[in-house]
Amino acid sequence: MKKVTVQDQSTVEKVKCHAAAIGVAMKESIYPLTATVQYPRQRKKMPDNFRGYLLFDPEKCINCWECAFICPANAIRMKEAPNKKYYPTVDYGKCIFCHFCIDSCSGGALRTTKIHDVAYKDMDDMVTLTEEMIEPPEIIREDKTLVEYQIDKKDLQIKKTREVDYLFVDEVPPSVEILMVSMCIDGASCIGCHVCEQVCESGAISSAIANGVMRMKIDTDTCTGCGLCVKECSMQILKLVRK
Amino acid sequence: MATETESEWDVKVPDKPLKDKVYFENLKSVVIDTEMCSRCLTCAAVCPGGITVVNNKVDFPDYETKCFDCGACVRVCPRFAYEPKSGLGDHIEFTAGRSKRFSGQDGAMVTELLVSAMEMGMTDRALFAGRDEKWATEMFHARDPEQLAITTLGGTKYTFADVLPALKEAVKFTKSGVGIVGTPCIVSGVRKLQQEYPIFREKVKLVVGLFCTENFHYDDISSYLKAKGVDFSKLVKTDIIKGKFVSTMTDGKVKFKVAEAEAIVASGCNVCTDFTALESDASCGSVGSANGFSTVVVRTEAAKKVMAFIREKGYADFDEGDPAQLGFLIGHKQKRAENIKK
Ligand SMILES: Cc1cc2nc3c(=O)[nH]c(=O)nc-3n(C[C@H](O)[C@H](O)[C@H](O)COP(=O)(O)OP(=O)(O)OC[C@H]3O[C@@H](n4cnc5c(N)ncnc54)[C@H](O)[C@@H]3O)c2cc1C
Repeated sequence: MKKVTVQDQSTVEKVKCHAAAIGVAMKESIYPLTATVQYPRQRKKMPDNFRGYLLFDPEKCINCWECAFICPANAIRMKEAPNKKYYPTVDYGKCIFCHFCIDSCSGGALRTTKIHDVAYKDMDDMVTLTEEMIEPPEIIREDKTLVEYQIDKKDLQIKKTREVDYLFVDEVPPSVEILMVSMCIDGASCIGCHVCEQVCESGAISSAIANGVMRMKIDTDTCTGCGLCVKECSMQILKLVRK
Repeated sequence: MATETESEWDVKVPDKPLKDKVYFENLKSVVIDTEMCSRCLTCAAVCPGGITVVNNKVDFPDYETKCFDCGACVRVCPRFAYEPKSGLGDHIEFTAGRSKRFSGQDGAMVTELLVSAMEMGMTDRALFAGRDEKWATEMFHARDPEQLAITTLGGTKYTFADVLPALKEAVKFTKSGVGIVGTPCIVSGVRKLQQEYPIFREKVKLVVGLFCTENFHYDDISSYLKAKGVDFSKLVKTDIIKGKFVSTMTDGKVKFKVAEAEAIVASGCNVCTDFTALESDASCGSVGSANGFSTVVVRTEAAKKVMAFIREKGYADFDEGDPAQLGFLIGHKQKRAENIKK
């Protein structure tokens, strides 16, 4: 076992340490430094990839349901819209803000915001309908100060600015994107129903008949890796693979 | 399963007798409207559209607009380019067996073969045609021998079961393979699927066929039996013994000659010449063996392995089988070749 022993310090060093301690105490009593953000008057600055409240753009949605499939909390349900397409609704009573939905959205229809403070009166209100996700939610802003934590080596610096943070993310910060493409794993089991071709939004799948055989082709340059064909293939012979 | 991926592949385009019609209409005119259809539902198993059964007939509502015209149905239909088969067929062994573990229609060898294949690791699921309390068939995916405690899974149901659509599902989920049982028409359907699509060749590992003279549509047989005084809530077994249809209830039996029910025999059975399920891995039936035993005709190496496993584990008792006893029914079905219109 190792014993902890008090450092052997000279008298001068001891005095220096005491003086430093008194100095910190004096400074704190005049200008106290606190790590606490005085929410709602102050608001912490969030990074652009903060996993917050979701916004949805139906124009970009390709109806692939991937968000609903991937949601580990089962918070996303697809509901039929008047235009016969299915769009997501989010139950914030279940959402764990993992944003797998955003990561899996190949059309870029789901977007994050830096909003994390939406309050509801009851559980039913927490089910957010598609139409409520198109525009940002109404929130009461009382914040006047923006607080930023800056970690400088070992020291935590707190920077307070008198300004109001902009809570929307116009440009999604670039992430390391894994490009996927659809490929066939068992061409001989293809029944040739063309469903893949019909559901493909980017026109990457084509077919041509010549000499009594049909040639199916996936153009891997055009394929966006959205996975619609993989989901619809009745023989389950298409698969998303890394480009 | 092949893991190689490809971005280009070829698909067969089958011939169409009616050139300007969609494939389903071709199937309809060649097989369904001519009363040749066996209702094996092989077509429904692969159809990406909506082939189903309407009023006891294989049909595709709104096929004019909904048929993808892919031709999968005519590729797999065993009756589209019908090659009738008959006889006892090639086999490695002809025997009789009685399972010590399960009870079934006869010696429960069908159940024994499918469960043993699972235990050997040859398959990881087996499809059984179970039934509800009104004796309508319901498909059941068994994944564990213990599930055979469901007593309605064994035993013969004299009505059609949707085995092949269930097989399509099973093939999607299985890792090591699927075992199935069915009447000769279903067995022929599986072989067609395997001939056309590798996915079925790789995944269907054991096909047990049943001896079969004929089958009935559910509405027909159930109202017929009701009229004869059969109470479904008390019915425990149906059987055809020496030409008599016997319904055993908890409080008695109702018997009548099957020949009387000729009018309700499904039309597709009238052109079927296959009594012994010639294309199976192993066929089972009641004729050809003593009471309480199932006749087992082992035809392929796969079935031979399973039989060896059953013997090694001592899961069943064995007895001599007598192929000569099958002669009458084989001949009876051979005669149906006359009903096939060319
Ligand atoms: C419609 C029909 C007609 C038959 N006709 C004859 C005959 O004329 N002569 C003869 O010797 N044998 C006939 N059999 C076979 C016989 O009735 C027994 O099924 C066979 O002997 C196997 O008995 P077992 O105890 O080994 O089977 P079990 O262990 O009881 O298993 C039988 C299995 O068959 C399956 N099954 C039951 N009904 C159906 C159905 N309708 N469709 C698909 N699968 C089903 C079930 O999944 C069950 O697990 C017929 C069977 C059927 C389904």
